[in-house]
Amino acid sequence: MAPSQKPNKSTGSDIRSFFGGSGSQKLRPTSPAAQPVPEKKPVIEISDDEDMPSVKNASPSKPTPRASLPSALQNKPKPAVAPRKSVGAIVAPMDVDSDDEPVIKKRKVASALLSSDEDDTPPKKKKIARKATILSSDDDDEPPKKPVASGSKPKPKPRLSKSKKDDDFIASSDDEEPAPKKSAPKPKAGPSKAAEKRPAPNGKSKEEPSKNKFNWAAARAAKLAGPAAPGSKAVPDGAPDCLAGLSFVFTGELSSFSRDESVDIAKRFGGRVVGQPSGKTDYVVLGDNAGPSKLAAIKKHGLATLNEDEFLNLIVTRKGTGKLDEKTLKKMEKEKEAIQTAAKEMEKRERKAAKDTSSKAIDPSSQLWTTRYAPQNIKEICGNKLQVEKLQQWLKDWPNSLKSGFKKPGKNGMNVFRAVLITGPPGIGKTTSAHMVAKLEGFTPIELNASDARSKKLVENGMNVNNTSLDGYIAGGREKDGVTITDRTVLIMDEVDGMSSGDRGGVGALNAIIKKSKVPIICIANDRGAQKLKPLIATTFNMPFSRPSAQMIRSRLLTIAFKEKMKVPANVLDQLVQSSQSDIRQVLNMLSTWRLSSDTMDFDEGKTLAQMNQKYTIMSPFDITNKMLGPYLFSATARESLGDKMEYYFQDHSFMPLFMQENYLKTEPSSLRNYDGPMRQLKSLELMDKAASSISDGDLVDALIHGPEQHWALMPLHAVCSTVRPASFRYGMGGHYGSDNAFSFPQWLGQNSKQTKLSRQLGDVQIRMRLKVSGDKSEIRQSYLPALFPHIVRPLMDVGASAVPEVIEKMDEYYLSKEDWDTIVELGVDQQKDDLVLKKISAATKTNLTKKYNASEHPIPFYKATDLGKVPKKLPGGPAPDIEDAFDMDEPVEEASDDDKGKDGDDISKNKLIKAPKKKAAPKEKAPKKEKGGNK
Amino acid sequence: MSLWVDQYRPRALDDLHYHQGLSARLKSLAASGDFPHMLFYGPSGAGKKTRITCTLRQLFGPGVEKLKIDQRVFLSPSKRKIEVNIVQSNFHIEITPSEAGNYDRVVIQELLKEIAQTQQVDLNAKQRFKVVIINEADSLSRDAQAALRRTMEKYMSNMRIILCANSTSRLIAPIKSRCLLMRVAAPNEDEMQTVLAHVAKRAYFDLPPEAAQEIIKDSGGNLRKAILVLEALKMQSPDLTGPLSIAKPDWETYCQKVAGLIVTEQTPARVMEIRAKFYELLSHCIPPTVILKTVAEAVVSQVDETLKAEIMHWAAFYEVRMRIGSKKIYHLEAWVVKVMSLYKQSFYQFDISEFE
Repeated sequence: MAPSQKPNKSTGSDIRSFFGGSGSQKLRPTSPAAQPVPEKKPVIEISDDEDMPSVKNASPSKPTPRASLPSALQNKPKPAVAPRKSVGAIVAPMDVDSDDEPVIKKRKVASALLSSDEDDTPPKKKKIARKATILSSDDDDEPPKKPVASGSKPKPKPRLSKSKKDDDFIASSDDEEPAPKKSAPKPKAGPSKAAEKRPAPNGKSKEEPSKNKFNWAAARAAKLAGPAAPGSKAVPDGAPDCLAGLSFVFTGELSSFSRDESVDIAKRFGGRVVGQPSGKTDYVVLGDNAGPSKLAAIKKHGLATLNEDEFLNLIVTRKGTGKLDEKTLKKMEKEKEAIQTAAKEMEKRERKAAKDTSSKAIDPSSQLWTTRYAPQNIKEICGNKLQVEKLQQWLKDWPNSLKSGFKKPGKNGMNVFRAVLITGPPGIGKTTSAHMVAKLEGFTPIELNASDARSKKLVENGMNVNNTSLDGYIAGGREKDGVTITDRTVLIMDEVDGMSSGDRGGVGALNAIIKKSKVPIICIANDRGAQKLKPLIATTFNMPFSRPSAQMIRSRLLTIAFKEKMKVPANVLDQLVQSSQSDIRQVLNMLSTWRLSSDTMDFDEGKTLAQMNQKYTIMSPFDITNKMLGPYLFSATARESLGDKMEYYFQDHSFMPLFMQENYLKTEPSSLRNYDGPMRQLKSLELMDKAASSISDGDLVDALIHGPEQHWALMPLHAVCSTVRPASFRYGMGGHYGSDNAFSFPQWLGQNSKQTKLSRQLGDVQIRMRLKVSGDKSEIRQSYLPALFPHIVRPLMDVGASAVPEVIEKMDEYYLSKEDWDTIVELGVDQQKDDLVLKKISAATKTNLTKKYNASEHPIPFYKATDLGKVPKKLPGGPAPDIEDAFDMDEPVEEASDDDKGKDGDDISKNKLIKAPKKKAAPKEKAPKKEKGGNK
Repeated sequence: MSLWVDQYRPRALDDLHYHQGLSARLKSLAASGDFPHMLFYGPSGAGKKTRITCTLRQLFGPGVEKLKIDQRVFLSPSKRKIEVNIVQSNFHIEITPSEAGNYDRVVIQELLKEIAQTQQVDLNAKQRFKVVIINEADSLSRDAQAALRRTMEKYMSNMRIILCANSTSRLIAPIKSRCLLMRVAAPNEDEMQTVLAHVAKRAYFDLPPEAAQEIIKDSGGNLRKAILVLEALKMQSPDLTGPLSIAKPDWETYCQKVAGLIVTEQTPARVMEIRAKFYELLSHCIPPTVILKTVAEAVVSQVDETLKAEIMHWAAFYEVRMRIGSKKIYHLEAWVVKVMSLYKQSFYQFDISEFE
C-alpha cells in the first residue's frame, strides 16, 4: 500500500479497461494465431451453467463425481443467498467461474484433471472445436472449503491466500476484458468468443429459470454470455443486394457489433432498417437485453427472430434479388423506367435551351450541378409539395386580394397577408421554390439577399432597387436604374435572419414596408424562432419547409446520376442524403466532385465521402457530458477510439473537466450490472475512488498547464485524466434530464467566485483590525471571528436593539465598519450561517444598528486609495430644487454657460468642485444665480 | 475594550513570558548594531508577531508603535491594478505580498526597491536602517522569492528584512541562507499556564488551574486561541468553576459534521452532500488544508484502530496534491471517496485494494 506503488498499479492493470472496447479490439489479433495450439489442452467444462448443453452433447460419462460437486454446491447455498449472507459465502461461489485464473493455477489444475476427463474431450471438440478456454478450472479444490466458509464462519478465514483473493476479484470485476487478459499471460488459452457464443443462445433459455434463484449464478451466466468480443466477427462477404426487399428491426445489444454497425451492415446489403417491429417486418435481430416492448411486438406479430450469427449467416447464404417477389421486381423496373424517361426529358430540355438562346446561353456542362439540375417545374421540387402549391395559389390570387384590400382570407387563409415567411434548414429548396413559383405565375422576382446592405434607410429608400438579382435585370434590361417595380413584381427577401448588426433597423423597416406593400413579398429565413424575426411573425404568413425524406429525393438524385452516367446504388444515395441531413445541394455538390474521379460509388465509399463532408457540429458541454457518461460510449461494442473520446474534451477543454467532476457521481455505472449486495457497494465505491483519484490527477496536470511553465503539450494527458478516464469508470444510465440527479452545471465556478469575493472582504476586515491584532487573514477567520461573534453579533440576536450601542463600541474598538459587520456575519458557517443569524435579528434591530452607526462618528484606520478619487457621498437633506424656477431660467442658462467659460476660465476648477456633489437639478438652479453674480 | 488577547499583549522583550533564551538573543542582537535579516517561523499563535514587534521596539524605541495603514496601488504587467495594504511606522514597513496573489513579485520588486533606495530620514533614529516585515512569507511565489534574493544583499546598508512564516519548507534555500533563522516554537503547557494566569491577574479574576488545563488542552499550543477561549468562557460562566464546555468555533463543528457524514453512509449521494459542505467551508475562507486536517482527525476518532493509519496516510497524500494542484475540492473529494472505500471494505472485512 505504499503510495508510490499506487499510480503504477492503476496504469498497469487498468489501462485496458479504460480504453474500453477499442483496447481489447486492438489486442485481439494476437490471439487467433494461437488458436491451433490447444490440442494439448483438453477442454474441460464443468461450469454449472454450461453443463446443460454439454451434458446434452457430451458422452454420458460427463457427470463424474467431480462434476457433481459443484452442482451440489449450487443447491446448498440456495437458502443462504439472502442479502444478509456473509461475504465469505458470496465470494466463494465466485471462485467457481474463475476462468481467468493465473497461469500457475491453471497448469496445476489442468494436469490434475487431464487424466480423468480425457474421455470427454473428443466429442466436445467436435462441438466447440475452436474453443480453448478452461472453465471452472479449480472446482475440485474449492468445494470442500466453501461449505465451511459459508456455513460455520461468518467471516472468511484470514488465511485465505492473497493470490486467491486476487483472482476472485479479477474474475468478478473485469467482465469486459477477459479476452485480452487471458491471451496475455498464456497464448495457448487464446479464446475465441465467437465459438463460445454459438451455444449460448441455446443454453440461455434453459438458464432462465435458475436466474431468479441464484444471484451469483445469474451474474455468472451474464458473464459467460456477456463478454462482448468487439470486432471478433468478420462481416461476411455476401452478394451485393442479398438483403434487398427485407426489412429488419434491431433490438438489444449484439455481442460483436454496435448498433450503428449492424444497421450499417443491413443497409449495405440492401436491407431496410426500421425502428419498431410491425407486421411487415421480415426479421428481428435480437441481442442481449432486448427491449420488452419490442419483444412483445415480436410475439404479437409472430415475427421471425435472428441472433447475431444467424443474421450473418443470412447475409452469406441469401442470394441477391433472385428471390425477390414479382411485385418488388416490377416496382423496381418501373422506377428504373421513370428515371430513364426523366433523364431523357432533362437532356431534351437542355438541348432545347441551347438552341433557343444559342447566342448567349451558357454551356450547361460548365454550370454547377446545383444550377444545372435545379428544378424547372413544380413536379421536380423534392418535398414540401403542399407548401409550394399554397405559395403558388397565393401569388395567383394576389391581384384579387390586392383589389379587395386583403380582406378575403381565401382557401388557405393566406390572402390576408401581404408577405410570406418561408423558414427551414439550408439546402432544401426554399429559394429555388420561391423563384420558380414566381416565374410560373408570371411575376418578376426581385431578390435582395445578405449580399445587399439592408439597413433601415436602405430598405426604406431601397425599393428603387439598384442591386437586384441579375435574372430580372437581364429580362427587363432596358432600364438604367435596375428594374422598376410593376404590379407583376415579387420581392424576395432572402436570408432575412442574416440581417445583422450592419443592417440596423432593417427588419423593422422591412416590416413597415410589408404592412403597406402593393407587391407580394416573400421572406426566407432559416430559423423561425430567431429573436430578430419576431416583428415579422404577425405580419407574414408562416410557411415552414421541412427536410424532404431520403425517399423523396432518391428518384431525383437517381435521375441525375443516370444522366451523368454514374452508377450509384439507391442505398448509397440514401446514406449520402441522410448524412447531409437532406441537404440536396450538398449531396449534388458531393456527387459532382466524386464524378471527377470515378463514376461508380459503393456503400463504403459513400460512407467515407459522407463522413468527410459531415457538417461539423459543436456539442454543448451538457450534450458531451450526456454522451460521455451515457451507457454507450464506453460499452464493449463502441467503436470510438481513445482519440475520439478525447476529442469530446477538446470541444470545450475548459468546461469539460468541470462538468465531469460535477456529474460523475450521478450515474448508475454499467459495469456494476452483474453485482449485487455488498459486493456491488464495494465495487461502486472502488469505481468512485478510481474516478475521483483520476480527477485529482487531472488537477495536477491542469496546474502544470496553467502554471507558470505552461506545459500546453500536456493537454491530451489532461483530457484523459480529467475527462475520459473518470467517465470510463462511471459510465452508465442515469443523470437524465428531469430525474433527481440530472446533470447539472458545475458549481465550482459560482463557489470559486464566492470564495474570491469573501476572501477579499475578509482581507478588508483584517487590515482594519490590523492596528490591534497581529494575526493574518486565516487566523482572523478561524480564531477571531468566532471570538468576536459573541460580542458584536450575538447581543443583537439575544438582546435586540438595546444592545446596539454596546456592539458599536466593540466594533469601533477594532475599527470595524458596518460593511465589516456584514462580512463577519456572511462568513459564518453551520450554526452561524448568515441566513440563520440574520433571521434571528429583527428588522428593527438591523435598521437601528445601521442608523445608529451612520449617525455617530467612528475611528477610521486609513483611507482606501480607491475611496480618495471618488466623489464624496451627497449629503442627505437640503431644500428640494424648485422645478418651476429652474424652468423659467432655462433660457438664460445656455447663454450663461457660454459666458462662464469665456470669462472665468481659471474658475472652472473651483466650479467643478462645487458642482460635483450637487443633485442633478441643482446645477440648473445654481448656474443662473452665479450668472447673475457675474453680471453684476 | 479590546479583547484580552490584544489588550494584554507584551510590548517589550522583557515582558515576554516564555522562550527567554530567544528574547535574550534578540535583545543582544538589537543592541549590537549588526542586525541581520531574520526569518521568524513557527506555528500560529506561538508569538512570532509579538516578538517581532518587541524587537522593533528594542531597536527603535516606542516610536514603532505609532502605526498607520496605507493602501498602495501597483500596476501589474497587464495593467491590472493591484491593491496592497501597507502598515508602517516611521522606522518600519509591513507588507503582506500574498494579498497580491500571482502578482506578488511586482509588489516585492517595486516596494522594496523604493524603500531600499532611500535612507532613514529621521536623524535622531537609533538605527541607520529601516526594517521591512514580510508577512506570510511561506506563501510567496517562487518568482517573488527570487526577486527578494538580490535585494536582500544589495540594499543591506539601508534596509533589513524580517520574514514571518509558518514553516520554512516552502522558502527557497537562498533566502533561508541569507536570514538568521528564529524558530518560535509553540509554548508548552506550563508556559501557557503562566501566560493564562498572567492574563487572569491583569483582568482581576482568579483562574482555577483545572479550567486552565482544559483550555490548554483544547487550544493545541495556540496561545491566541487559548486566550480567546478563556475570555469566551469567562463571559459564559463568570466563576469558571464546574464542568466547562468549550464552545468550538463554527467551522470546526461543521467539519465534525462532515466527518460524521463520511462514517455513517458511503454512497455517491452522500459524497455529493459532502461536496456541498466542502464548498461552503472553502468559500467561507477556511483553508483547505485546515479542513482536511480537522475532518481527518474527526474521522480517525470514529473508526476502527486498523484504519487509522491508512486514513491519515491518504490525508497526507491528498494534502500534498492539494498544495500542488489548483482546484482544492477535487482532492478533498478524492480523499473522502478513498476513506469511504476503505471504511466499507473494513466493514465487510474485505480488502479490494490488494487485488489491483
